[in-house]
Amino acid sequence: MPSAREIECSMNIVFVALTLLSLVFMTFAAPTAALPSMISGVTDAVVLALKLTAIYAVWLSVLKMAEATGLDRKLSRALRPVIRRIFKGESERSYDHISVNLASNMLGMGGATTPAAIEAMASMCREEGKATDNMLMLLVINATSIQIIPATVIALRAAAGSANAASVFLPTLIATSCATGIGMILAKVCASASAQKEKRGK
Amino acid sequence: MTAYLLPVILVGAMVYALVKKVNVYDCFLDGARDSLTLVRNIFPYIAVIFIAIELFRASGLAAIVSGWLSHPMKYLGIPPEIAELVLLVPLSGNGAIALLEDIINTYGVDSYIARCAATIAGASETIFYVSAVYFTKCKVKTLRYAIPVSLFSSFCGMVTACALCRVM
Repeated sequence: MPSAREIECSMNIVFVALTLLSLVFMTFAAPTAALPSMISGVTDAVVLALKLTAIYAVWLSVLKMAEATGLDRKLSRALRPVIRRIFKGESERSYDHISVNLASNMLGMGGATTPAAIEAMASMCREEGKATDNMLMLLVINATSIQIIPATVIALRAAAGSANAASVFLPTLIATSCATGIGMILAKVCASASAQKEKRGK
Repeated sequence: MTAYLLPVILVGAMVYALVKKVNVYDCFLDGARDSLTLVRNIFPYIAVIFIAIELFRASGLAAIVSGWLSHPMKYLGIPPEIAELVLLVPLSGNGAIALLEDIINTYGVDSYIARCAATIAGASETIFYVSAVYFTKCKVKTLRYAIPVSLFSSFCGMVTACALCRVM
């Protein structure tokens, strides 16, 4: 399984491959453009960072309000019966963490999502080093994204002067539900297939 | 109809906050304060990926690679212009946002290509990051089928996203 270190390593490979290949290519094709295009890349990044600061300033404020009114807790309580059905045979404490994780993920509260997921995984872990099917199910649901309002994307579109920035809301919601649905079905299929294989092995 | 979505959510949240006697002004101050910290944390990632993207574009390599990918992508209804985004999304969320901004600036925010890109960026998650970080407390050695299943399903989501942008 990839550790955080390996992720950085793989980004390192991607980054080095991209820049080195491009630079070698440019040495022959357009040697004078190499440095200016790197600098103009960072200039774009600065502009984007300013835009993102504005976007997050507004959206994080809305999320703070939702948090202060207990909206996230309400959603996680509403999700409880569904979660109980998907993740069978886990402890109440696990259900707590899973519902906080999924509710905050749906609302786009990035801050609460990851810690809750880490706690949920730890509480579902029965045997050191072995991932149970329920753990992998939680991972697949999170990895296919279940955000209801893609706030950053909509705000970026609004900042770029879109005629209707929120028009991507429905396609995004349908696409992400499709991905999560397919993921959950495949995870179930794989889980039962590996269970059967184990049975036959014994 | 979706034009009303955001204002309605904002009005709803604020009225609800008033009913619950939450200090709205303080919430906004907190949000604005946190946004600076957040952007300060993600700026290095954006800056570095933009260097790579800009070089990749300027060298002409991007055109060559999208040329290779254009046929299989077109077959699935994904515009070849966003091939880079499809490849980057599972690796880096901040990188994907940076690339989305780039695509919006290049092709125009309401073009089919930019709407596809926005839908893909909004509907996907950094799979490798999630699978690395979630298991930091319980040390799991093998993820068995989790990564292929996640990658395949989110790719299905992307194909769906492009198909939906054609009609919606």
